[in-house]
Amino acid sequence: MIEFRSVSHAFDDVPVLEDVSLSIDAGEFVLLAGANGSGKTTLLRHSNGLLEPDSGEVLVDGTPVAEDLIAARSSVGMVFQHPRDQFVAATVGEDIAFGPENLGLDRAEIDRRVTAALETVNMAGREDERIDALSGGEQSRVAIAGALAMEPTHLVLDEPFTGLDAPARRSVLERLASLSADGTGVLLATHDLRDVCELADRVIAMHDGRVAVDGPPADALAELDGLEVRVPDTTRC
Amino acid sequence: MLTYEPDESLAHRLDPRAKLAVQIGFAATALAHTTPRALIAFSALTAVAMATARLSLRRTLVSYRLALVVLALAPLLAGVTVGPPWFDRSAAVASGLASYRVLLILLVSAAYVRSTPVRDSRAAIQRTIPGKPGQLLGVGVGLVFRFLPVLRGDLRTIREAMAARLGTERGVVDRASTIGMLGVARAFDRADRLSLALRARCFAWNPTLPALAFSRVDYPVLGLAVILAVSAFY
Amino acid sequence: MATDQHSVELVDDDVVKPFARAAVLAALMGAAVFVGSIPIPFSPIPISLGVIVVYLAGLYLGPYWGAFSLLLYLTAGAVGLPIFAERASGLGVLVGNSAGYLWSYPTAALLIGAVVHRLSEDGDPADLSRPVLVVTLLAALTVIYLLGAAWLGYVLELSTVKAIEIGVVPFIPGDLIKIAAVVAIVEAERIAT
Ligand SMILES: Nc1ncnc2c1ncn2[C@@H]1O[C@H](COP(=O)(O)OP(=O)(O)OP(=O)(O)O)[C@@H](O)[C@H]1O
Ligand SMILES: [Mg+2]
Repeated sequence: MIEFRSVSHAFDDVPVLEDVSLSIDAGEFVLLAGANGSGKTTLLRHSNGLLEPDSGEVLVDGTPVAEDLIAARSSVGMVFQHPRDQFVAATVGEDIAFGPENLGLDRAEIDRRVTAALETVNMAGREDERIDALSGGEQSRVAIAGALAMEPTHLVLDEPFTGLDAPARRSVLERLASLSADGTGVLLATHDLRDVCELADRVIAMHDGRVAVDGPPADALAELDGLEVRVPDTTRC
Repeated sequence: MLTYEPDESLAHRLDPRAKLAVQIGFAATALAHTTPRALIAFSALTAVAMATARLSLRRTLVSYRLALVVLALAPLLAGVTVGPPWFDRSAAVASGLASYRVLLILLVSAAYVRSTPVRDSRAAIQRTIPGKPGQLLGVGVGLVFRFLPVLRGDLRTIREAMAARLGTERGVVDRASTIGMLGVARAFDRADRLSLALRARCFAWNPTLPALAFSRVDYPVLGLAVILAVSAFY
Repeated sequence: MATDQHSVELVDDDVVKPFARAAVLAALMGAAVFVGSIPIPFSPIPISLGVIVVYLAGLYLGPYWGAFSLLLYLTAGAVGLPIFAERASGLGVLVGNSAGYLWSYPTAALLIGAVVHRLSEDGDPADLSRPVLVVTLLAALTVIYLLGAAWLGYVLELSTVKAIEIGVVPFIPGDLIKIAAVVAIVEAERIAT
């Protein structure tokens, strides 16, 4: 479980998060919506200690993040917006191995995790391919596999769909849904709810650094007016 | 362009550390000797190194063309004198021999390049250079490999965007500073995002290192490296 | 969990950022040899971005990380990435005819970085006055020429005068233009430190 307890954060005295409290349970699929600049990315970066709150506290599976960064970062797998900039190696397999190597696992275990992570994102057997030669959708999936290889209890994704077409979005989303069905908590930031919200258990919307809406998709949708979040035209949620 | 090529040659099967040691030994002794006799021996060794890596002489020479121009020019220039006799043959010969051994050193290192994937070199660095410097250099080499195509694309985009609006008509200082500034600013943007990703993925001082092991064929090669290095002093 | 058997020692957050910048700058230095250079009037040698990156590494990464960035560039080229001039690579280049120039790069970045470190508030090169900046860059260029020509002369058995004729003179116009470009970059204050 990831818990934010009254988290506040300011950049250069400009408040960006104000007294945010929420929690994400294991196996939950939660959407984090909100307009540009509403504080989604900032919130996510508190979940694994990339940022420290000015006040308040973040706990991962009961342990304060600040107390055990290694536990927080191996329990919370993070996927950023620009996959190109987060790969550390030139080939798929080497990149996915990076996290497990940092945990000091032995080589056989690392290989097992790389294989398993690639299977989970539907890219089995493509370890030796060059990352640059992959399509945008495939790169997103490799980025997710890199996070999964840490065997996290939660997956936190910051707009992983930039530049993906509808089928690619769809396939990544379905992977995420099945991961959450298998017990991984998923927190997905986006300002575009098209075809995402029917898969989610909960929608949280940020507005000016505060949680404006938090509830099941169907209820949350009705409250999103004025928050500049793109809502599906059909009521598929 | 000279670069790693997958193959089954003997050199491909050697441990990268053994290959690095031979290059260092060879360079050390070649820098110390320029007698024709020594150069004949070095040439033979170079030929062996190239054969073990199945290196094409012609393609390798093409990839070192810039160095070749200098190496060819140096003896000519060395021979020219301002007054009579106008050309000093012995100075030209001395420089020619010196240039030739530089060419041999380049060819031997080309054998390493063709036969060693970056992954192996990274492993060799991390396993040979102790502590934090080794870790940073090893991971760093991997990152340079990873970001080379990305930044190449960035630079190309910057130049095309400038040309599209006739930036080519501007002065040379202006153009150089614009490309340099945008190039570095964009590179730092990417680096800052990369550093977040490194932190999120538990970037550690003591990771599991890439696997690497000496095998039977490596020991004679290491022995050769030692002999070469020692011969530098005789 | 894995962390029970093995004590993971995280790289400090304030090391990760300059390290990532140094690595990416080394890649930029390498990428510069792929994108064509700018021809300049009255000189046989066109401008390449390369040495500009050396100066900027010292200016924006400081003495240690700046020098590290260029050592990384040398290492990556030595093990086979095609990032030396004209896409060459290999350990041999680091002892070959142009080795002096290459090894002078980390030295030059160290020198520039040390000046910025001493004379500016928090490592921001924009704090330097224009004369100080120009003198610093010229001093770095002198180091590059000295080491470059000295090794060229030694390894090819050329006299000092001839090493300078072949290894310094043709480059002077381009190098002065690059220094002017770097001054313009610093004064534009658009690169965040
Ligand atoms: N490192 C930083 N330094 C200063 N200000 C920042 C920093 N990061 C974010 N901000 C500011 O904080 C606010 C919230 O930014 P954040 O990135 O969290 O928004 P977001 O909801 O993720 O937006 P987007 O949809 O555009 O990604 C913005 O006004 C932004 O300018
Ligand atoms: Mg964001």
